Order: sequence, then C-alpha cells, then structure tokens
Amino acid sequence: MDFFSAMNVSSSGMTAERTRMNLISSNIANANATRTPEGGPYKRKDPVFSAVPAEGSFASTLGQAGGRGVKKVEVALIQEDQTPPRMQYEPTHPDANAEGYVAYPNVNVVGEMADMISATRAYEANVTAAQAAKSMAMKALDLLR
Amino acid sequence: MALDGIFNTTINLLEKNLDLRVRNQNFISANLANAETPGYIPTNLSFEGELKTALKSRGGTEAAVTNPRHIPLKGQAGGIDGVRGTVIETPAGSLGRDGNGVELENEMGKLVENQILYNASVQIIAKQFETLKTAIKGGI
Repeated sequence: MDFFSAMNVSSSGMTAERTRMNLISSNIANANATRTPEGGPYKRKDPVFSAVPAEGSFASTLGQAGGRGVKKVEVALIQEDQTPPRMQYEPTHPDANAEGYVAYPNVNVVGEMADMISATRAYEANVTAAQAAKSMAMKALDLLR
Repeated sequence: MALDGIFNTTINLLEKNLDLRVRNQNFISANLANAETPGYIPTNLSFEGELKTALKSRGGTEAAVTNPRHIPLKGQAGGIDGVRGTVIETPAGSLGRDGNGVELENEMGKLVENQILYNASVQIIAKQFETLKTAIKGGI
C-alpha cells in the first residue's frame, strides 16, 4: 500500500492549479497594462500542463514502462497568447499610435473569470482526493486501536 | 499461511481488497490531478472480477505452495494473494477539444465509491478481530 503516491499526485495537481491561478490573477491585474519591460502591451499567459510518471516503487516504475502507471501533472511551460492586441480609439492616451489607437492587452476578463472558476474547482477536486487518501490511511491506522 | 485456521479467507480477501483499493485511489488521484492536461486519458484499476474468480477457484484442487521456491500453477497464480488487477482506460463519452478524457463528476463519484468500499473493508476487518477477541476471552 502506498498512500504517499496518492498524496504526491494530488499535491502536484494542486501546485499546477495554483500556478494557473497565479497566471489568471496576473492576466486580470494586467488587463489594461499598455506598457511592459519587453515593450508593447501585456500579453496574456497560459500554463501548458503535461502528465508525467509519478516516481515511486519499482513495481510502479515497471508499470510505467508500458505507459500505464500513475501519472502526476506538471506545468511544462508558460506560453504567451500571440493573438493581436485589442485596439481602442483613445487619441489622448500617451501610448496612442499615429491614428490615435491604443493597443490594449489581449485579455478577455470574462474568459479569465471562467478559467478562474475552473481552476478553483480543479484545485478543490485535488484537495478532496488528498483528504480521501488521508482518511483511508487513518482508517487503516485505526485498526491498531 | 500457518494461521489460516484463525485468520480465514475473509481476512485475506479484505486485506487484498484494501491493498487494491489504495492502488485504485492512486489512479483516481492521478486522473483528478490531470483533469486539465491536454490529451490525458483517465485510467483505473479493475480487479473486482479477478478477485471474484480467485475466490471461487479456491474450492477446486490446488497445488499447495509448501516451499517459498515453488512456482504456483498457471491460472492459480497464488490465489487471492496473486490478484494484481489490470489498468484500464476509462475515457469520458466525448473527449474535450484538447483530447482530455477526464470527467470530473465521474472521477469524484469513483473516488467516493472507492473510499466507502475501503472503509467498509476496514470495518469488517475490525469486526473480525473483535469477534476473535471475544472468542479468546471466552465471551466476557
């Protein structure tokens, strides 16, 4: 029995969802940021998740040889959304171009909100799984009483 | 097992059940952790049928393993102890646009089911030990 790989996998899920949540916060906070150190408006950022084998016992490693083992999740990379910026006519803005248009970040706040709810729910699911593993381990310990 | 007389098949079976449920729990956790991973297909450990067959086959003739170096007969695979379960893929009816097959509600349902069945096994084991204790104490 290894309860710890369940814990390990659930915590990897929580870490990944938290990273996603941080990026969503960053996207919302910068929804109107027209300047960045790299120049130009802020570009929305997205995490890319990938399933990687959870390290563990020999048996589970053996199972993974066939690609059928327990997999945890990892943030493989954080990619920038390359869709064009939102152009808004604001001639008085210091960052307006020659035609009077300002390039605002390609962030859709409503979309970010939806993503945020999805990230919250996924995080909660991982917490529930970790709690279940913990309560199972405790139940087994209770046999000793 | 030398104590087969006291710790009968039930304990053996429940013990194996606990072990397999924990392993299944690992798979469900992995499915939940990968609920947003593109192209991930959820997996589960299927062992109920195997366990049932192992339990049934106990009635027939068995080649006893009296030495640790004996190899169990084919199909027998050490009876209940030999049940390992098989990893099966359980994708949702329709994959998401990113090819992810995890259905959160489905996984949560399986999580709860697995947990309840695990708890039931633990409770029955505890009860068995309690009964044994009552017998040892002579009903006091």
